Amino acid sequence: MKLSARIKPWLLLTPALLFLLLPLYGLWSAFRLSVYPDGKLTGQVYVRLFSHSDFLLSFFYSLWIAAASTFLSLLIGWFFTRAFVPMLERTGGRLTVWLPMVFPHFVWAYLVLLLFQEGGLVSGLLPGNRAYANDPEGVGIILTYMGKEIPFVILMLLPVYLTRNRLYDDLTETLGGCWISKIRDAELPFVTPVLIETGIIIFAFTFSAYEVPALVGATFPEMLSILTFDWFYSGDWSERPLAFAAMVFLTTVIGLISLLLFHFINKMRRNITEGL
Amino acid sequence: MKKILFWVIAMLFIISPVGILVLQSFTSPGSWTEFSLYGWRGLFETTRLLEATGTSLTIGFFVTVINIAVGMSAGKALALYTFHGKTAVDTLFVMPLLVPILAITFGVHIAMIRIGLADTGLGVILIHLVPTVPYSIRIFRNGYVSLGRRMQEQAETLGASAGRTFFDIELPLLKPSVQSVIFLTFVISLSQYVITSIIGGGTVVTLAMVYFPFLDSADTTLIAAFSIWFAVLPLLFYITAGAVFRLLPYRRKSGRRELF
Repeated sequence: MKLSARIKPWLLLTPALLFLLLPLYGLWSAFRLSVYPDGKLTGQVYVRLFSHSDFLLSFFYSLWIAAASTFLSLLIGWFFTRAFVPMLERTGGRLTVWLPMVFPHFVWAYLVLLLFQEGGLVSGLLPGNRAYANDPEGVGIILTYMGKEIPFVILMLLPVYLTRNRLYDDLTETLGGCWISKIRDAELPFVTPVLIETGIIIFAFTFSAYEVPALVGATFPEMLSILTFDWFYSGDWSERPLAFAAMVFLTTVIGLISLLLFHFINKMRRNITEGL
Repeated sequence: MKKILFWVIAMLFIISPVGILVLQSFTSPGSWTEFSLYGWRGLFETTRLLEATGTSLTIGFFVTVINIAVGMSAGKALALYTFHGKTAVDTLFVMPLLVPILAITFGVHIAMIRIGLADTGLGVILIHLVPTVPYSIRIFRNGYVSLGRRMQEQAETLGASAGRTFFDIELPLLKPSVQSVIFLTFVISLSQYVITSIIGGGTVVTLAMVYFPFLDSADTTLIAAFSIWFAVLPLLFYITAGAVFRLLPYRRKSGRRELF
């Protein structure tokens, strides 16, 4: 009995652990191909990568777009959720807000193209006829991501606001706290872990996704995913190792950032359950 | 007041953009008022579209079934059992969402060529699991957490077999989780362009593979209809799955009455 109780969770986990082999193998294989480009261990590919001016430009450009998309989605999604909890409690309001999630990212990108490209439906109304799709600043990409990710942020945050203990609000009020301390002491401790986790998922995705920049991105500068995709399919395969190396590096950066933030969340969760 | 503000925002940023697509798909090109089925007729006359819809539905179906099986068992383990290394396992299951999918796909591609999975539907199904399974595990985990152990213990005490407990208690009570997983998984699978193109190699033509080159054509009416089609399919899939689901777990209802 004791033994089977110990084995049972692992039996249940087996299919999921087998599934994990796929992404783990993929990542490992990409790493291997970046350090053994010709069957010999070498760091040459990474030296080539970091001296590539296109790569560095693309990397920081992608970093900026991912950070901006993530920050704006989290901020707006959070304010929207806390402001409109009563409307979001109703099925109609909730489904309306989640509607963009039904469409693939590339359909939303097309919509941004339709509205904001040169001669688009909205850009004609803007002062100076400015186009915000395929623009070098990446506004079109950020707009697309916001349209798709804000509903996702609301999806993740809403349960927190629906199940949160509202007595903490009264508590801060009774103790003479203003609205700032109400947010800081009664909401943030519960909201921050979810916000950070959602933020990591959005950041990792927007940093490396291909579809949206392929449609609403500018020809220059390019996002990293576009650049690496071109390297991967370059005619003579000489640039393929660069594609692997770029993706391994991107994974490392995202990994380090998430590790740091997850550590922060865990500390915070412990503070909620044990401290306070 | 707040209610009005809510609907104004929803109108501006969600309803009107989607509304524009719907309107465009039902009017003749260049006009906003003249009703026409030009876009939809054109869409369904594209044979590639119908074939691609079939391919996307088939791939989406298998991806969803695998997601339910894998997600349900892992979610159950994580929700109802304590064991060594649980935190590590938990973190590992989020990982596929954080690693760039291109990194994984680039790495897997050569192995898939070697074992003959590249350019096949099975290869595409496998790669579609990467961005979907982590979400399914999470949804089922939450489902099992709110379900708790009590109900199952009761069934066990009454002498029900594991299968009986699953079909009579877990499955019906987990229905909301199953529905969320079906919907989310199918939508995500339908949205994959770049990984389908790499692993499918142009041989496995899903809807996304048809949509991308379509955007170069200037026919906005047709593109609008095509865009709406992407939202219609998950709904159809969801409704069909719901109908099938209704048939499943209550088969035993009559059997249960015999006990009394």
